Amino acid sequence: STPSKPAPTPTPRRKSKPVPYAPPASPATPSAVRRSRRLLDTPTKDLSEAALFETPAKPKPAPAPTLKRKRAAPSPSPKTPARAEPKRKRQRRAPAKRAFYRKVVYDGGEFAAGDDVYVKRLEGAESDAEDPEEPEDCRVCFRAGGGVMVECDACLGGFHLRCVRPPLRRVPEGDWACPYCEAEREGRAMDRPKPPVGKKIKRTAKEKLLDSDLWAARIESLRREPDGAFWAKVRWYTIPEETAAGRQPHNLRRELYRTNALGDIEMESIVRHCFVMSPKEYRDATNDGDDVFYCEYEYDVHWHNFKRLADIDDEPETKEDPSDEPYNAANDYNSDTDEDSEYDEEDEPAARCSARKNQSNEKILNSWKGRIYGLQKIGIRKIPEHVRCHQKTALEKAKATLLLATLPKSLPCRDKEMEEISTFVKDAICNDHCLGRCLYIHGVPGTGKTMSVLAVMRRLRSEFDSGALRPYCFIEINGLKLASPENIYKVIYEQLSGHRVGWKKALHYLTEHFSDGKKIGKQANQPIVLLIDELDLLLTRNQSVLYNILDWPTKPNSNLVIIGIANTMDLPEKLLPRISSRMGIQRLCFGPYNYRQLQEIITSRLKGINAFEDQAIEFASRKVAAMSGDARRALEICRRAAEFADYRVKQFQQVEQTSSSANSGNGFVCMADIEDAIQEVFQAPHIQVMKNCPKFGKVILAAMVHELYRSGLGEVLFDKLAATVFSWCHVNRELLPGYDTLLKIWQLQAW
Amino acid sequence: HAPPLLGTPPRLLPSPAHTAALSLAWRLPGCPSSPSVALQALPVAAPPPSSSAARQLTPMAAAPVASQAQAVLRGRLCDPAFVHSRLRSSPDTNYSKLKYLVSSSVSEACNNSVLLLGPRGCGKGAVLDMVLEDLKEEHPDAISVIRLNGMLHSDDNCATKEIARQLCLEHQLSFSKMASSDDNTEFMIDMLRECGLAHKTVIFVLEEFDLFAQGKQRLLYSLLDAMQSLTSQAVVIGLSCRLDADQLLEKRVRSRFSHRKLLFVPSSLDDIQRLMEHLLMLDKDSSLPTNYVTEYNSRLTSIFSNKKFKGVLDSLTDTDATTSNILRFLFRVVSYMDMESGFLSMECFTDALSSMQRQPKMDSLQDLSILELYILVCMNRLEDKEQKSYNFNTIMKEYKSIQDAYKTSDKYATTVCFRAFEHLLDRELITFADTKGRNVALEYRPVKLLISSRELAQSLKLNTTCPV
Repeated sequence: STPSKPAPTPTPRRKSKPVPYAPPASPATPSAVRRSRRLLDTPTKDLSEAALFETPAKPKPAPAPTLKRKRAAPSPSPKTPARAEPKRKRQRRAPAKRAFYRKVVYDGGEFAAGDDVYVKRLEGAESDAEDPEEPEDCRVCFRAGGGVMVECDACLGGFHLRCVRPPLRRVPEGDWACPYCEAEREGRAMDRPKPPVGKKIKRTAKEKLLDSDLWAARIESLRREPDGAFWAKVRWYTIPEETAAGRQPHNLRRELYRTNALGDIEMESIVRHCFVMSPKEYRDATNDGDDVFYCEYEYDVHWHNFKRLADIDDEPETKEDPSDEPYNAANDYNSDTDEDSEYDEEDEPAARCSARKNQSNEKILNSWKGRIYGLQKIGIRKIPEHVRCHQKTALEKAKATLLLATLPKSLPCRDKEMEEISTFVKDAICNDHCLGRCLYIHGVPGTGKTMSVLAVMRRLRSEFDSGALRPYCFIEINGLKLASPENIYKVIYEQLSGHRVGWKKALHYLTEHFSDGKKIGKQANQPIVLLIDELDLLLTRNQSVLYNILDWPTKPNSNLVIIGIANTMDLPEKLLPRISSRMGIQRLCFGPYNYRQLQEIITSRLKGINAFEDQAIEFASRKVAAMSGDARRALEICRRAAEFADYRVKQFQQVEQTSSSANSGNGFVCMADIEDAIQEVFQAPHIQVMKNCPKFGKVILAAMVHELYRSGLGEVLFDKLAATVFSWCHVNRELLPGYDTLLKIWQLQAW
Repeated sequence: HAPPLLGTPPRLLPSPAHTAALSLAWRLPGCPSSPSVALQALPVAAPPPSSSAARQLTPMAAAPVASQAQAVLRGRLCDPAFVHSRLRSSPDTNYSKLKYLVSSSVSEACNNSVLLLGPRGCGKGAVLDMVLEDLKEEHPDAISVIRLNGMLHSDDNCATKEIARQLCLEHQLSFSKMASSDDNTEFMIDMLRECGLAHKTVIFVLEEFDLFAQGKQRLLYSLLDAMQSLTSQAVVIGLSCRLDADQLLEKRVRSRFSHRKLLFVPSSLDDIQRLMEHLLMLDKDSSLPTNYVTEYNSRLTSIFSNKKFKGVLDSLTDTDATTSNILRFLFRVVSYMDMESGFLSMECFTDALSSMQRQPKMDSLQDLSILELYILVCMNRLEDKEQKSYNFNTIMKEYKSIQDAYKTSDKYATTVCFRAFEHLLDRELITFADTKGRNVALEYRPVKLLISSRELAQSLKLNTTCPV
């Protein structure tokens, strides 16, 4: 079976860049908000509807009567099992059981978990007998094909380049609106061309979706029921009109929201693929056809609020993936219908539990049996406009890339060390018998120790995903985040097995596991890579925790690798000999960065942003290299300097708003800004405070210095001090302060 | 004893714990924030004799107008937002710098950590409150503030619990007291992530920041480390009067801290005068009668240009030029307002100054009887002899020896002396040397002086009834 990708519209279509573009008060949607039944229903109703759909009790689900299937079938009936054959043969059981698949070829299309698809609505409200994959017609001549078409950013209609008045030579850069939308925006009346009589306007799937006649969803899992019907669990997408906030001015035309509502649908109702993309993918996909959508936010159907989709969203999911749902389902569920339904209930924690939980509010706790509920409640009612519609200036971009939180695209200057770490870990994973493996990494704060290790692990992970590496298990622990050193056993055990036990029990299990090879959880014999950050925090009085942990790798079949990170160079030497002999063999030093490296780090981050003078960067990196060589410090100084410059520019703009003089040259970070930032970071503000302190405060300070010099002692009594102050005041004919006043000032100044 | 005008303070110096509790009481969220608790406890002094000119001007309606004006002025002085509202307009103040910092991290989704440093009473907290209030108005529903105080939450477990509690409160989640500190930390990190995804900024305000920098600083570490992840959107604002607060941080924590510092210093003389004008001048369009307002303002301007006023201001700022001190002074000034005419006069300022510069120990020394002074002198002599520990009986022996040496006539019986001794103990001019031995009779417990010999000598000089 050839995977037939949904044929992209034959004419390359230009798409708008995802620059938030605010069309004037809904030019293209005459009926302001058209809500579907799906979202107007209360969650409970929603559930009942879903339940109707699931029908686990019925032997033959057959929702076909509700689903008016009028497609001019280019394929024979999809229910014939010959057509729907699983691509990967994992059927090790009788066909009477429920089977889960990763990929299914159905009706000529290949669907996999994680794909986005169009889904028919239940009633099939306006089910035109039309093939949805037909290319779109031009809005003027109503013919498809025959030249390049351009898409209007406001109404999303397609136009031939030659049909537009005046005709266009090539696809224009930036935003483009068709003459009709332009006219509407300006308030002129301009009739859109009517289709020739007898020809019906065909709507593409995209248009139907945006008019909420079609749904979009993302396939979460695919399965075959015992009776042979194929079902998919999907996560719905929704269009902005269907949310509680309605379409907001900054919404893009092609924007969708991912919801947290899950549903079970039969494969039959799936129309074909569409492509919902993250902002970054969307920006790159300019020629990917008509079925491309933009998705940046998740919409909570119960609480009606929005949340940004995390950039590293896929991580937990891919983590679960290799633990193999097909295996799981096939092996563990030896199929009664009872068990199946149980599985069902467990399987849908997100939708149902949350609904139930919202009703009984007392179950939402900050922590309940180690799991945190109620977080879905947090979200913003409306996406604030400033987030989307804000054009960043060069300085603001610079500030954003200089953030400590931003992951740099590349880690310059640490290639050698990273190479060493990755060979170490690879060695340990690939060899069958890894014995006594322990790497100690040391270096002053801010030299990229943890970051390098994590980068190496990310790289290995992608290698594993491509199949070049054996499966392994990676555990990361930070010593400073443990409540007490002993808790580390608890954490390790929880990560390995998923259960929570007391630390003594955990220690017992872990020792059994590592020395006797007893199983914990499912990943029995995978190699374990244990990263312990801030290792020195694990020191106890008799150093038993460190000893226990470092003793495990020496056991014959432990399969454990430990990477320890700490600041002090001679930590192994400070420990008991029996520990240092286990740890101190393989070491890696992260030296402080020198100024060239710092400069490289900063410039690599600022690549493509023209906001800093070169000298300024060099100055900052030289200063930091001379003080500490801390990369965090250098980045912070540069960011602070950018803030100073930005502040200056903004103040200037405020002042000059009326006169509007050109100040383009002002938006650079210059030496003075760096100087200010360094002053703020490295200098204690004592001098300035002393300058501003009241007169008698200064007198007292002077008298104190005088007394200390005279007596030669380290401290001075107030009695003596007062005597000095009084005598000075007497000599200089100053007004004598009262004894009590003096005492008060003394107390105030006692910093 | 004639009680002094404002009454002797019950304790000479309020103990640190007491003041701390007081300052906590009005800084903690939930309590109505008004710094006036201390101020309003002041008894209002009797008005000085009124000036005849004023009586001619407004014969009958003056009194209600005066009390009205006084109420307006007092309301202003107790409202920190009004006191600092002048800062809003100018670009170079800490207010606008802080606001820029916080608002840029709200709108640009970045993390920041700031330290506000400066001596007590310089308006760190007030400015911060103003900034937060303004930002909450500008970005409704996008900011949640978590307030911690070093005095209460310096313990890590307790602090994470409090953070979890306040986060739950902000987002209407229910909070479980039973959660372990690990759970709470995890909850905090999860919440930070979720809030970041929802474009909400969490602002942590850590008052008495230096007290958080004790021990392993686990709280600060986990806070600042959570802020290094991409999705979080948080600001940590530390308030401290220790100028080297950032040097107290452990090196790992310091490396994660972004060193923004804003320094608050006592304002200069010009600024103070401008602040006074801002606070005391009445508005033209207030509910008060217009002719009264103009008269009041013109009198005030003439006072401000007076040379004597400059002297008053100098001696006030020589000791303490912080904003809170100025406010305390002005409150007294307003309290001294002539209630018949309703105008402030030069006397109000001078009286207020003298009441600010009271010497409570001196005052109570001058009220002592001859016998009590005798006892103090005896104790002083004993200390001069470098006798380390002495009690009532030793003092009586010394008293006898003075009697014998100078052959004075005023000789009192031991019981009378003991009464005087007890009285001194009550006034806290002397105290017991140690806290143990509570069951020992008073006469035998060792005591010590609480005043220096210089003060004693000065008070003897000033005391007119004292035989020389």
